[in-house]
Amino acid sequence: MQPSGEALLKAAACGLVHTDAGGTFLRVNRTFCSWVGYEPDALIGACRLQDLFTMGGKLFHQTHWAPLLQLQGSVSEVKLDIVHRDGSTLPLVLNAVVVTMEGKVVHEVAAFVARDRDRYERELLLSRKKLEETAAEATRLEAIANDRALLAEEMIGIVSHDLRNPLSGITLARALLESTPLDDSQQRTVARIGRATERANRLIADLLDFTQARIGKGLSVALQAIDVHEAVGHAVEELAHVYPGRALQHVRSGEGESMADANRLVQLIGNLVSNAMVYGRPDAPVTVTSSIDQGAFSIAVHNEGPPIPPEVQARIFQPMTRGSSAGSASRSIGLGLFIVREIAKAHRGTASVASTAEGGTTFTTIFPRA
Amino acid sequence: MTLQRRNNVHVSGSGRATMFFAHGYGCDQNMWRLLAPPFAERYRLVLFDLVGSGGSDLTAYDRKKYSSLQGYADDLVEIVRELGQGPAIFVGHSVSAMIGLLAEVKAPDLFAAHIMIGPSPCYINDGDYVGGFSRADIEALLETLDNNFLGWASNMAPAIMGAPSQPELGVELTNSFCRTDPDIAKQFARVTFLSDLRSRLPLLTKPTLILQCNDDLIAPMAVGWYMHREVPRSTLSIIENIGHCPHLSAPSTTRMAMERFLAQQGF
Repeated sequence: MQPSGEALLKAAACGLVHTDAGGTFLRVNRTFCSWVGYEPDALIGACRLQDLFTMGGKLFHQTHWAPLLQLQGSVSEVKLDIVHRDGSTLPLVLNAVVVTMEGKVVHEVAAFVARDRDRYERELLLSRKKLEETAAEATRLEAIANDRALLAEEMIGIVSHDLRNPLSGITLARALLESTPLDDSQQRTVARIGRATERANRLIADLLDFTQARIGKGLSVALQAIDVHEAVGHAVEELAHVYPGRALQHVRSGEGESMADANRLVQLIGNLVSNAMVYGRPDAPVTVTSSIDQGAFSIAVHNEGPPIPPEVQARIFQPMTRGSSAGSASRSIGLGLFIVREIAKAHRGTASVASTAEGGTTFTTIFPRA
Repeated sequence: MTLQRRNNVHVSGSGRATMFFAHGYGCDQNMWRLLAPPFAERYRLVLFDLVGSGGSDLTAYDRKKYSSLQGYADDLVEIVRELGQGPAIFVGHSVSAMIGLLAEVKAPDLFAAHIMIGPSPCYINDGDYVGGFSRADIEALLETLDNNFLGWASNMAPAIMGAPSQPELGVELTNSFCRTDPDIAKQFARVTFLSDLRSRLPLLTKPTLILQCNDDLIAPMAVGWYMHREVPRSTLSIIENIGHCPHLSAPSTTRMAMERFLAQQGF
């Protein structure tokens, strides 16, 4: 090194170090000495660069620094803590390059103090750790919530199933009562028991279908070649008895057999018509339309009345969704349309709704014929 | 996915026996550049990267599988079964020596001999046993890793400064060597430095060469002596070398010790 260069390097704004291949100090500048608190004599020939690192740094030196330097001839931007003579630690960013001087391998090392960077990076690490913990907590809570929801749905299934037994007991007892001589008031009471039991049975069937669709593999359907108009016609006839005093009509178009589950179609029409009766204008007819095209058939149920708001339309086929206009007397838990969609899905079909103030509300289900 | 792709396997050389080289914690198979090539004249060589290191397929890294060294040992058994021809000689550096031990325990017919470079069955001091480190030391290493990988996150390979003094070093090397996903590096460091396989050492009944450096922070002399005492058919060979990688800093001395051992065993 030239004398002038020597002077420059002594007071350089970075620590400069030469070591032999094993790390033993050969030369150090003043800056480095002042950072670590040792006189040059205490370092040169007396100890190794890696001896000044913290234990973590020593290990890192062995597993990363040394192999890199040996294979690559240089390392840069390695950040290690160095231990000052007084025991305090100082974060340094180190660059090193392997050179040959007078036939011997020398490691040239430049060091920079990185206190601020160190502090900043520790804060970053801390935030990252916090973020990871928050994310893990969110995942954990979500899993718990899912478990609870699943458990609740399973409970619905079990309870619905178990309710069938007492209900059939009630049905049987009602039939026995009916066969005994009754006065008018008693007959009305027995008839009320019958209607209530039927409603309860329908509700239980819906709940069982709901759990089957949510937890199991979807609703089961038994496809057979049927005349859709005939199935729809029967359903409409029966429903007309359920809603005396309301106009219910059946419109049909097209001809031919289709592969479908007639019982499920009856259930679907029952749910749609019940909906139309609750939310539709009482003085306007409810229309059930069955249409058969070349490849598909559809069943649509239309009613007049106030439109369904767009935000309700968007989630109307989700379970537990209800229109708001119906009074508390007609409250249900809102599974009807969910089951309509599930029945359509089980047939590889679709369910949709269109609703405007002028045109009224139409639920349309479309099914492939084969 | 093929095993070759998963572990970035490279086969070279030919001979009656196959040597399998497994690198240690921190880097990859490039560690063997100065040591392995001359062996190719007399042996078939299989070099590979542990999953999560070097050019291995990082998508194959399964945190659960590699939460203990057994996951790596299972991979090694597969590699040897698929690529071995003739007797298999396992050369493992540092933690890989222990991976070889676990593979031996799992499949005792697999290897004919083991060569362990700087092995340690347990890094943490425990009663009379001197591993060289306290648990706090290992925690400090993990923290150092955290700090450095943050700096490397977007540009992890340290940039080359000036011309490398070794012309045999390809440019492609500098971009991948010693570089891996920081999360994987952290888990691997934990699995490596918190492992304790002392109880398995007596199960290694094949001829075993223990190459111990006289000045090695990671595997101090006491560990070499301990290994030699516990491994039944072991030969201890001390190499004059500062540091944990004699295959890089003293390749010819290391090679000579290996050749002497292989000749004694008749390979």
